[in-house]
Amino acid sequence: MKEFMMIFVGADYADLGLSPEELQNRMGKWFAWGNKMEAAGILRGGNALNPQIRRIVGENRTVTDLTSAEVKEIIGGYYLVVAKDFDAVQEIAQDFPDYDLGGTVEIREVTVFEDHK
Amino acid sequence: MENKLIDHLFRYHSGKMVSVLTRIFGLSHLETIEDAVQDTFIKASVAWRQQQPENPEAWLTKAAKNRVLDIFRKLKAEKNLLPNLQQSRDFIAVNELFLDAEIEDAQLRMIFTACHPDLDPRDRISFALKTVSGFSIKEIASALLTKEETVKKRLFRARKTIQKGTIQFHIPQGKALPQRLESVMEVLYLIFNEGFHSNTQEQLIRKELCGEAMRLCQMLLKNELTRSSVVYALFALMCFHSARLEAKINSSNEILDLKQQDRSLWHFPLVQLGNTMMNKAVLDPEYSCYHYEAAIAAEHLRAEHFDDTNWTKILYWYECLYAMQPIPIHILTMAVVCLQSLDFDKAKHYLEQLEASDLEQRSYLYYGTLSDYYYATKNIEKAIEYLDLALQTVTNSLEKEHLQRKRITLTNSTLKRKS
Repeated sequence: MKEFMMIFVGADYADLGLSPEELQNRMGKWFAWGNKMEAAGILRGGNALNPQIRRIVGENRTVTDLTSAEVKEIIGGYYLVVAKDFDAVQEIAQDFPDYDLGGTVEIREVTVFEDHK
Repeated sequence: MENKLIDHLFRYHSGKMVSVLTRIFGLSHLETIEDAVQDTFIKASVAWRQQQPENPEAWLTKAAKNRVLDIFRKLKAEKNLLPNLQQSRDFIAVNELFLDAEIEDAQLRMIFTACHPDLDPRDRISFALKTVSGFSIKEIASALLTKEETVKKRLFRARKTIQKGTIQFHIPQGKALPQRLESVMEVLYLIFNEGFHSNTQEQLIRKELCGEAMRLCQMLLKNELTRSSVVYALFALMCFHSARLEAKINSSNEILDLKQQDRSLWHFPLVQLGNTMMNKAVLDPEYSCYHYEAAIAAEHLRAEHFDDTNWTKILYWYECLYAMQPIPIHILTMAVVCLQSLDFDKAKHYLEQLEASDLEQRSYLYYGTLSDYYYATKNIEKAIEYLDLALQTVTNSLEKEHLQRKRITLTNSTLKRKS
């Protein structure tokens, strides 16, 4: 089994004008998805990220503060899961609740450094 | 971990928080308050993805309170526009406003504000659905079958009127109360009817609107000041109507009239609740239009089959209703009732009192009824002639299909005769 990270990219909820009802429904779907992964014993961790961004760029270490409105694709959070391969994670990612809002799931495998003894 | 949230918690809570915070900060800050409350739901929707708090409502309440205080602290740094909430006495008073009974009081104040006669009648529904019921602009637009732009304009206009400062955020007292209550009930009934008669494809939205109108009506009944026999009658009426909601549309989304409805789909617990409410409504011998409308709806529900309907009684209730509320649609309905009881002369008597223009956008109902009259009296040619007029004037697509199916039946019957 390998470790994979599912990274969630897309618009911030705050900028989408969702109603309280929609927010509750989406929250319920996220909650159910998390539960499903937990029950399957594949969830290794995860977090949601606040939309404020401080960006440091270049040799001069130029600092800019950004909000979600200024960034087209903001990373909203991630989950760490164990799975056999990419196909298995792709299957897990079917339940991601925000595809209809233009959300994206990016799957990356966690690099394992082999221990040469 | 199971999902502990009750259905619509966020939406219901939105109305509660906006009302309480408006009571604290005043109607002039309504927009800031609505934004702040919305912020708390966004925050909750992310924070609760993995774990929900033990007491979700308390969490939301606290978050809303803090968020508004944050915003006002920021604003206060710029301008001095806020009562000083840090003074301990005020602070205790503010906390008390978040107790259940005070929340309900604040919500009633918001309902009376939203239904205030100073607001344009068309703006009241949108404003009530947004502020009291926590619907988004998009949801209001799809529920009322209007454009989002139109809803935005209505909300803007309502807010502008409110910001003039002449509307007080309170429950009216004394002589003003019955009249203001009437205006509230009118808006609630309109919201209910939007749900009950609307033909949006989404059954869910229809139910939501009906449910919301009933929830707000129950709020009026819960408070001693606003509880009255008329409100009981309105609530009974809503119960009777919504008992039939499931049966009104078949699986292919076609409207079914009373004759075609599968009566086993009627929801009897709602009928019983309606009866209980009706018993309370008639304790006061002075009846309202809602009393009569409820009596009519109850009479329909009493019949086990369509053929068992007591048309004489129904006609009597319509006469009472018309005496109190002389509008053309009641005359038309009385004609329909007479057609059902095969009293064609009387039906004609009613129809002759009307002209198509009396019914404005619903003139197709007038033509449709005339067509039914001529069909019943075996004048098929005239029946088709009027059905065509109905088809020319109908705008709603479901109604149109209904009429088209009728026309096919009519033409078939003439063909049979000729052959």
